[in-house]
Amino acid sequence: MPELLRAESISKRYGGVYALQGAGLSVAEGEIHALLGENGAGKSTLAKIIAGSVRPDSGRIFFRGAPVSIRNPRDAQRLGIGIIYQELDLFPNLTIGENIVIGNRSFQEKGFVDFARIEFFCGPVLDRVGLGRGARELVASLPIGQAQLVALARALSMDARLILMDEPTSALSDDAAARLFDVIGALKRSGVSIVYVSHKMDEIFRICDRATVLRDGRVIATEEVAHTTPEALIRLMVGRELSTTGDRLSSPVNFPAPLLSVSHLTTRKLRDVTFDLHPGEVLGVAGLVGAGRSELGAALFGLDRIRGGEIRVRGAAAHPRSPAAAMRLGIGLLPEDRKLEGLMMDMSVAENTTIAASRGLIRRTREEAAIEPLYARLALRSPSWSAPVSALSGGNQQKALLARWLLVNPDIVFLDDPARGIDVGAKQDIYRIIGELAAAGKGVLLASSELPELLRCSHRILVLNEGRMAAMFDAAEATQEKIMAAASGAVAHDR
Amino acid sequence: MTGKRKRLPGDARSLLALAGIVLLAIVFSPAASDGSRIFLQAGNLTDILRQISIIGIISLGMTLVILTGGIDLSVGSILALSTSLAAMWLTGAGQEPGYGLRIFYALGALNGAAVAALDIQPFIVTLASMIGIRGLAKWLTHNANIDIGFGRDVAAAFAEVFRRKPLVIGSYAALAAVFWALLARTVFGRHVRAIGDNETAARYAGLPIRRVKVIVYALSGLLAGFAGVLYAAENHQGNPNAGVAYELDAIAAVVIGGTRLSGGKGSITGTIVGTLIMGVLTNMLRLNNVDSNVEMMVKAVIIVLAVAVQRQRRTD
Repeated sequence: MPELLRAESISKRYGGVYALQGAGLSVAEGEIHALLGENGAGKSTLAKIIAGSVRPDSGRIFFRGAPVSIRNPRDAQRLGIGIIYQELDLFPNLTIGENIVIGNRSFQEKGFVDFARIEFFCGPVLDRVGLGRGARELVASLPIGQAQLVALARALSMDARLILMDEPTSALSDDAAARLFDVIGALKRSGVSIVYVSHKMDEIFRICDRATVLRDGRVIATEEVAHTTPEALIRLMVGRELSTTGDRLSSPVNFPAPLLSVSHLTTRKLRDVTFDLHPGEVLGVAGLVGAGRSELGAALFGLDRIRGGEIRVRGAAAHPRSPAAAMRLGIGLLPEDRKLEGLMMDMSVAENTTIAASRGLIRRTREEAAIEPLYARLALRSPSWSAPVSALSGGNQQKALLARWLLVNPDIVFLDDPARGIDVGAKQDIYRIIGELAAAGKGVLLASSELPELLRCSHRILVLNEGRMAAMFDAAEATQEKIMAAASGAVAHDR
Repeated sequence: MTGKRKRLPGDARSLLALAGIVLLAIVFSPAASDGSRIFLQAGNLTDILRQISIIGIISLGMTLVILTGGIDLSVGSILALSTSLAAMWLTGAGQEPGYGLRIFYALGALNGAAVAALDIQPFIVTLASMIGIRGLAKWLTHNANIDIGFGRDVAAAFAEVFRRKPLVIGSYAALAAVFWALLARTVFGRHVRAIGDNETAARYAGLPIRRVKVIVYALSGLLAGFAGVLYAAENHQGNPNAGVAYELDAIAAVVIGGTRLSGGKGSITGTIVGTLIMGVLTNMLRLNNVDSNVEMMVKAVIIVLAVAVQRQRRTD
């Protein structure tokens, strides 16, 4: 197939650090091309350069064989290049239709808003992405998966020939992701090319034709997906061997008295959830998006009102009404969304780590003495500890957040998708810490949307379905298929 | 840009602006009879410090409030109430309502409680108190100024003490030092910035958000109340119409000092520099007999320029 886009010797420096160093990419028409790499490898920067939202220091881009200069997103739009960012750039309080036509060169708007015309314009693209919603509905009313389809429809309505997608499934349930893959497949058949930035091997092997692997801002290889394996790609990404499975943990034998007993817990979202968590145990929490995983954390951490049932910590009834109260009970929560719920992005790495533990006067040397061994343990890499946490890669940001809780050192910690959207190396570090926490006698609740992760790290796995407990498995007997069946409501609610 | 060029920290940038204004003030200063520049005379320089002290003190509390992502529009009215109560108490006029700075701490805390507990936007809460407290001051004084007088009584003695340059400037300096330490050297100060940076994350980190908010608004009220005492002494009267638009001067000083209006980023040193910039500018214009209405127009331009320069340096 003819080549649609070629980028050559693209370099981009931020301060003294190269984000990209002579990187390139070639995408054929109708191809789905994966862009792979650990966080900080430069894949998002490369995608943004092609989409015109970042300007390279040097390099050439050819579109349909002709050299082009993409100085801003409008240039990219004119060529037929669209991008869907990880954090969707939609206006939640505008309608679906308004989101599609706003700033859209294919739709001229002047003066008054003509909703009928917008609806007429959007109909075909909304059909094409299979969004069963009207153009007059508000984007705020859509679940994230459908909002993503709106972003996709917007790109298509601009006659995009090439769509860049930055980790599109990181916030999607498996259902929504499957629907997205159907849409991507249909786009491919109609000749649209897609650059697919992702960490997830199963997705790449499901939908992509070729994969370009970046490491430290350079292209390591471009492989035909059909002729390679996940292990080979991971090896190229990290430059070392990694086991994706690891050994299963043995099922719990003779755990001492439970640290945490939850019985018939009911909140706005949860119904009748009952389980025990023992010292030294990692209890996996599985479930589709919206099943109540995060809500379980919220209830335990005093963020959500408890409507029924009981929480006992070391046998004593405990109903935390605020995070501070939960922390006094020895409960911690690593939130799901590190940027929104976790970090103060303008504050330093060190401040973000110590914020929940320090009291009274700031004693910098004491704080540094406390965090230094933690950062070593987490293999956290930062130019300096007084650098703003926003300067770190996603994996290192997550480690800084995890370090906050290691410093507070609660007995019970709820980790809500701790390895979400971070690179493979950082994931391994976080899995190691989970093991260390359990070995130190802590009780760990590990919520995750990635089943291999749960199977690898947990002693037992609690499966939620629409706020109810669907199943409880010992790690030894659990399989991805069994968990999925329970999570999707395919089995009866027995334990 | 290359990594070699070092970025100036926020405080250094506003210091640079201050240096520029001082330079202008020196260049444009009229000469005294002995040929020296009036601007540089010790008397003039200490006058500047005395003149900025009241707004300066209010700006310290305003900095904390703005850092949490809030705003306090009620400080001008609190100052007016404070001047009125102080004068009434000293002169025994009216119902002798008693006087204590606690009142203003409590009024501020009320602002904070409404912001934190009722979850109403700070702009609206403090807009309401700005109106209500001004009304209270006018009602208590029957809308009349209360003269402290120049006799030999307690009231006059009070005014004599509290209007002395060393006391006014000294209390500003002392409060500035205390608030600098509070913001830069205590965990409370870190919590203030954390809340403005990302309130959701602050909640997830278990920070005492409500308490911090109540305290910053209370401190802002307390400082405005104290500034009212200085104002009453300076003007020898309690004035329920005093301090109109002082909240805006304080906000201007804070943002010129590089504090982000949406919170999370900023410092007391920046605010002090911002206050000095406004003070030196006013002095320069007055020494040159510039019309006070023109002075306002010049200030408007300076505010926008000062903030624009800081923004540009930040994004390049």
